[in-house]
Amino acid sequence: MFNNLGTTIMATFFGEVLSVYSRAVEEDDDELDENEEDEQIRRELEEKREVHLHWSPEVSESLKSGNKLQCSNFVLAVGQNASSFLSVHILSTANWDTIGRASAWNERSRAVTGQSCEESACVFYRHKDNPTVLICQVSCYVAEDQLFQWTEKVFDCLQHRELNVTVLSDTSVADYKTADYLGGSSAPFLRSLHTSAFGDQPVCQSLEQPNIVTGLPAAVLNHCQVHRIAAVVYQCYSDVIGPDSVTMETYKPVLTKLGRSIQLDLSPSTDALRKFVRTTDLQSNLYI
Amino acid sequence: MAARYDRAITVFSPDGHLFQVEYAQEAVKKGSTAVGIRGKDIVVLGVEKKSVAKLQEERTVRKICALDEHVCMAFAGLTADARIVINRARVECQSHRLTVEDPVTVEYITRYIATLKQRYTQSNGRRPFGISALIVGFDYDGTPRLYQTDPSGTYHAWKANAIGRSAKTVREFLEKNYTEEAIAGDNEAIKLAIKALLEVVQSGGKNIELAVIRRNQPLKILESKEIETLVTEIEKEKEEEAEKKKQKKST
Repeated sequence: MFNNLGTTIMATFFGEVLSVYSRAVEEDDDELDENEEDEQIRRELEEKREVHLHWSPEVSESLKSGNKLQCSNFVLAVGQNASSFLSVHILSTANWDTIGRASAWNERSRAVTGQSCEESACVFYRHKDNPTVLICQVSCYVAEDQLFQWTEKVFDCLQHRELNVTVLSDTSVADYKTADYLGGSSAPFLRSLHTSAFGDQPVCQSLEQPNIVTGLPAAVLNHCQVHRIAAVVYQCYSDVIGPDSVTMETYKPVLTKLGRSIQLDLSPSTDALRKFVRTTDLQSNLYI
Repeated sequence: MAARYDRAITVFSPDGHLFQVEYAQEAVKKGSTAVGIRGKDIVVLGVEKKSVAKLQEERTVRKICALDEHVCMAFAGLTADARIVINRARVECQSHRLTVEDPVTVEYITRYIATLKQRYTQSNGRRPFGISALIVGFDYDGTPRLYQTDPSGTYHAWKANAIGRSAKTVREFLEKNYTEEAIAGDNEAIKLAIKALLEVVQSGGKNIELAVIRRNQPLKILESKEIETLVTEIEKEKEEEAEKKKQKKST
């Protein structure tokens, strides 16, 4: 028996009746037999999951009048260690203006809809003395259906000529696939992937097959490859779950390269470090 | 790739690895550093104190435990596994006293702990203990002993050793600095332990805990004041050394 949604009813050997989906659906079936309520729910969900960019008033004005943000260097940090690294080593010099934030609600956001979740939003900073340097810290989860939206909305605001994009991304060493046995002493380490427009030398070796980059760094790299923007992703494989000073140190060579345009605080204040690293140490009594 | 051979403890990989045991050794590296030094008339155990949460009772977060009056151990790795091993070892120490009317030798109790650990690397459904231990003490003939065990169940005697996070750095320091004159007296041995720990402990003396056993004396855990005094002495000595070097260079 067939009904118009392409399910059949099947009687099994034991006599139970199961409803089974059939792929033999007739061509001229109605595409989706949704009623209005389903449609409305779907629309509301899509609106809720939309990525919103909130810029500071002067930036919004400038964007509205058709001028994109002048940008020569865009540094994106995805993950706790990458974001903390930027906070401790760069943003601590206080030469940065917050110019905007992006919010993306999804199933992993803790805030109730309607309220703005300050801590987990993606924040954009611009250098006071050198306004073509932009930094963005992403410490919240951006869902798969929001990745390309996020990327396109952000890059639509930046001018693309001579833009250099650097992405710092955290990931677990457990996701690193290799034929050789990896002793624990090798983690944390960096691997890189870059677009064909990237002419410089990455500070570490390339990511070997079959490893891949996923998530926001992948979406950004993809966008940059399509639009021929020079971009490089530095993936840090670490065996520590939370923010950790050793993992953060792994990113240092990247910023030495960018040092020309960005001020680097090579010896971060111990207070700043402590703020980011302490929180995980105390909670776990697993190891002693 | 490792993936297929780490599922069950009892399976060897084609190249002879027991991955679960090796992974257990990684768990040990997640614990804070512990160092053990065998002197002439003293054995010293030093550990990096784990930072204690504000509302936590500090006394219950201990890395150094007495197994008997004349034997104690420091461990690094999974806290809960350590508790089980310590309890079994303590019972065995007393059982030995009652059965043979003699206190255990340090080697005996180390062998007992190592055998226990090895058993868990060879039965199915169980995982190895995720701890390494430094066991120190005096035998009844007065010889000082230091042994180290690891999750695989091997044990060896050492003159000085370190386990846990940054153990490699501490061991290299000890290899350079463990000399006859460095352990000539009790105080010197204690200072060597502190110096070794200061190589890797970030905030100095207040994050170090020290325990000593002297011949025919019970385990003594040093007070933080004593440690601070020793740390100040060490820093003074370092400065004096640096001054001497400067003077030598200028003349």
